[in-house]
Amino acid sequence: MLSLLLLLPLASVIFLNLPIGKWVRGTALYFALILPIVQISLLLFGNIAPGAIAPFYEKTVKLGLLFDDTSALMLLIIGILVFCSVIVGNFLAESEYSKFKFMNLVILTLLAMNGTVLTSDLFSLYIFIEITAIASFILIAMNKDLFGFEGAFKYVVISTIATLLMLSGIAIVLMVTGESSFSAAKAALQSLDSCHVIKLAIVLFLVGLFLKSGMVPFHGWVPDAYVAAPPAVAILLAGCATKIGGLYSLLRVFDSVFTINFQIQSVLLAVGLISAIIGALGALAQNDMKRLLAYSSISQMGYILLGIGVGTPLGKAGALFHFFNHSILKGLLFTNSSAVENQTKTRDLEKLKGLGSRMPITAVTSVIGSLSTAGIPPLSGFWSKLIILIALWKAGFYTLVLFAALISLLTLSYFLSMQRQLFFGKDSVVWKDVKEADFSLVFPALLLASITVGVGVLFPYIVGSIILPFKGSIL
Amino acid sequence: MSEHFLLLPVFIPALVGLIVLLIPDRITKLKEILAIIVTIVNSVICWKLLQNSGEISFIAPWANFGLDFAFRLYNFNAFIIFAISCFFLLIAVYSFTFMVNKNCLNQFFAYFLFTLAMANGAVLSDNLAVMLFFWEGLLLTLFGMIIIGRREAFRTAIKAMIVSGVGDICLMLGIGLTYLQSNTLTISKISLPVDGLSGLAFLFLFLGAISKAGAMPFHSWIPDAAVDSPLPFMALLPGALEKLLGIYFLTRISLDMFKIETGSWASMLMMTVGAITIIFAVMMALIQKDYKRLLSYHAISQVGYMVLGIGTGIKVGIVGGLFHMLNNAIYKCCLFLTGGAVEHQTGTTDLKKLGGLISTMPITGGCFIIAACSISGVPPFNGFFSKELVYDGALKAGVVFYLAALIGSFFTSASFLKLGHAVFFGAKTEHTRETKEAPLPILIPIVVLSLACIVFGLFNHLAIDPIQNFIVSEKGELEKLSGWPHDFSLVVISLLFFAGAIANHFYGVRKTGMALKAADHIHHAPVLCEIYDQAERRFFDPYDIGIVVINVLSEALWVIDRGIDWVYEVFTVEITSVFSLSIRNLHRGNFSTYLLWSLIGGTFILMFLMKSI
Repeated sequence: MLSLLLLLPLASVIFLNLPIGKWVRGTALYFALILPIVQISLLLFGNIAPGAIAPFYEKTVKLGLLFDDTSALMLLIIGILVFCSVIVGNFLAESEYSKFKFMNLVILTLLAMNGTVLTSDLFSLYIFIEITAIASFILIAMNKDLFGFEGAFKYVVISTIATLLMLSGIAIVLMVTGESSFSAAKAALQSLDSCHVIKLAIVLFLVGLFLKSGMVPFHGWVPDAYVAAPPAVAILLAGCATKIGGLYSLLRVFDSVFTINFQIQSVLLAVGLISAIIGALGALAQNDMKRLLAYSSISQMGYILLGIGVGTPLGKAGALFHFFNHSILKGLLFTNSSAVENQTKTRDLEKLKGLGSRMPITAVTSVIGSLSTAGIPPLSGFWSKLIILIALWKAGFYTLVLFAALISLLTLSYFLSMQRQLFFGKDSVVWKDVKEADFSLVFPALLLASITVGVGVLFPYIVGSIILPFKGSIL
Repeated sequence: MSEHFLLLPVFIPALVGLIVLLIPDRITKLKEILAIIVTIVNSVICWKLLQNSGEISFIAPWANFGLDFAFRLYNFNAFIIFAISCFFLLIAVYSFTFMVNKNCLNQFFAYFLFTLAMANGAVLSDNLAVMLFFWEGLLLTLFGMIIIGRREAFRTAIKAMIVSGVGDICLMLGIGLTYLQSNTLTISKISLPVDGLSGLAFLFLFLGAISKAGAMPFHSWIPDAAVDSPLPFMALLPGALEKLLGIYFLTRISLDMFKIETGSWASMLMMTVGAITIIFAVMMALIQKDYKRLLSYHAISQVGYMVLGIGTGIKVGIVGGLFHMLNNAIYKCCLFLTGGAVEHQTGTTDLKKLGGLISTMPITGGCFIIAACSISGVPPFNGFFSKELVYDGALKAGVVFYLAALIGSFFTSASFLKLGHAVFFGAKTEHTRETKEAPLPILIPIVVLSLACIVFGLFNHLAIDPIQNFIVSEKGELEKLSGWPHDFSLVVISLLFFAGAIANHFYGVRKTGMALKAADHIHHAPVLCEIYDQAERRFFDPYDIGIVVINVLSEALWVIDRGIDWVYEVFTVEITSVFSLSIRNLHRGNFSTYLLWSLIGGTFILMFLMKSI
């Protein structure tokens, strides 16, 4: 049944690009809206058991699929964020044609991300990551302006380097073990003694995936790409596209193929901590709303990497939960930023002032998102950070716990100053005609904000059943 | 009788108190009438409880470590709550006229009824934690009653709250230590010696009890409250209720919960506190120039006799202390009420402005004389008999304490001669020329109380016999103490001291020519003069000393706080902004720099992972 998640988008993309008439383009929106809804409902109500999937085309095409709690959570995130991004993109598109292009590429991205998440084969993983990346380049540059090209160019170069490194790593693994599927490669690697070439493969994978996910010091492209991307694309990119390609693949590869030893753990924790600190400090000095969010994203990914780096089941669960929260919250905050940008035509925090009474829903959802990211109880961000901190503490990394808690403070401070500047303070005369954004910009914000509040308040009930269905018992 | 009957004295006043709080000011007299009805009902219930022979217990378990909502009625606390109910009834009648045209009447009567409920609860409870609950409730109503209607009373209310709060903290600590030592909170099951931690527990409980009773060093709010708070409050709380509660609890801890032997350190401590309280408070009372303030110092001083009597650990002394508690409540309440009557009729309590009231306010004056004779220990009024019993006990426990009690008695007489002379005799002043006798609701409680002074004097077996019964189980069989004092020589000595006080008074009056200045030769005596000066400047007030110490402490903490603030507000912010600005400056969008970083980072990872080769 889950192979539908690949086949349906594939069929849609093919159908939309058939040369049978211009009317086909008009249906793109419906496909783009229905596909994520189908995906979410299938995950929530489909009652699917974990394990390997045997699709009907097994005999002809060799494409191993695997479904477990990690992929379930990722599919859920992908569904929610693609849905929100499509709503925003539909509203903000300049023409019918650009709308079609956007929908077309979004469905393609959906297909690629689903593939990344579901595959159980190193080489397929690479292919799907590449599809995601190529669709993302075009999405970033879609407006055909200078900023867009610059951002897209930086992303292309970095991404190509990253995938090249990955490909070399895969080649080494193939060379040493002769296997490319996760389980077979892992079994083969375990039987080998520590092999220098494999270590090289690990380094290649690590650096490549760090580049893809934009961890410090591989993060230079992140702010530029996010700022350059059109609002709807930024939601998709920041919310899931770069994370699925980078962090998810990292989690998957180091969970299913390589084993995390002490050295790899040190690297993961060090990079995670540095990213968390530099991202937070960088965000503190930004005046551009989107750029601030981009740095915040780097900082939060540092947290997720800390959770992965602990290596314990609790740490992994915390990392996944934070992954979920982070995607939802970044989607929410980028939606808010596009609402503000759309209504005021600027993102400069020094110019914007006192919008709270003019744009109440945006203001409230944005405050919820900020507080949740900063880890204020009872919002969902608090719980995931807490789990990561507990995992770190139990594993004996007391200094890291201290640092992580302090970075939370920094997070709170840059978000609070952003909120104060944007929504509170004196009513400015300049912005007195600003009104609440259109429903299409408010609805996704409301949806995402209610998810973070709901998950936070109902944390004990939801985590075990929906967020981490097969691992919730750890918490 | 059902054990649920015990809950009525707590719940009826509390519920009616809540109702009174809701009555708006427009509806006059309803609050007063409700208060009188409730106090009557309460008195009837308490009378029924007093008639009940044997014990009644009510227990509702709350927590499994011994915290039960436990009430226990036996002859002693039945006697106490009945006495309390009578005082509340009288004050309710008194307030009917006295509180007219005052602000915030609904608050006053609500607090009044809450106080009744809390007092009944505190006396009836058989569990220390439950008792503490009611005890703290009294602290709240105390604060409320001082503060209502007057903004200036705020400082006094705070002072009362803090001073009593310190006492209550001691009580809390004592209860904690008692629980630690005896593993139970049920009062009737506790039996501890006074050494080691148990001794410390006793000390804290003792401090808690005397802080409620108003002995030194927990006294200093009472004279201030006398000036600032409504008079029925003064007559009721410091005058009667707090003495009954504090001394009741002191008796419980020193007779039931702990075994105090004559001559033990605990006994010496209690007697010392008692003796010091007697002397110092009465010396202060002597020089006061305000009716209510003078009385308030006596309210402190008289506690000394009770603590001294109970502290002797001798049967005569204990019976004397308890009897004195009852007598003091009667005559002190009566004296405060006469003060209120004078204030109500003349509009002042300043002794300089008063004089010659006996002709226009004969009933008030007569009752004042009875109560004043009673407090001075003139036979055959009630104060005489209880003081003689205390003297008897004090002499057996140590001659120093006996002397302190006698000297206290001497100054008590002197100060009341001065007060009575200045207010009711002598020439009339412009304030007193046109006065009339006080209205009936004010006179009734005064007359009833002064009659009680006579009744409990002439027929003292009415009170002494039951009191002897209370402690008989603790101290074995007693000889009969009621009737006239057995030791005739003690009576002669105290009468000699009384005669000395009269002589002293007329010496002072002749020397200065004014009743008001009758005590000036003591006030301005060589050494005393200095001490008085300091005391008037509140040099000895533990509260003010504490405030000075705390001010110094808070100044020091303020400096430290600024330092911490600087770390947070300046230092951290500066450091963070230096870092974040430099990070921002590094991200100039130069792509080759970004690639360089990535290269360096990748190389580091490679070297780190490969180093183990």
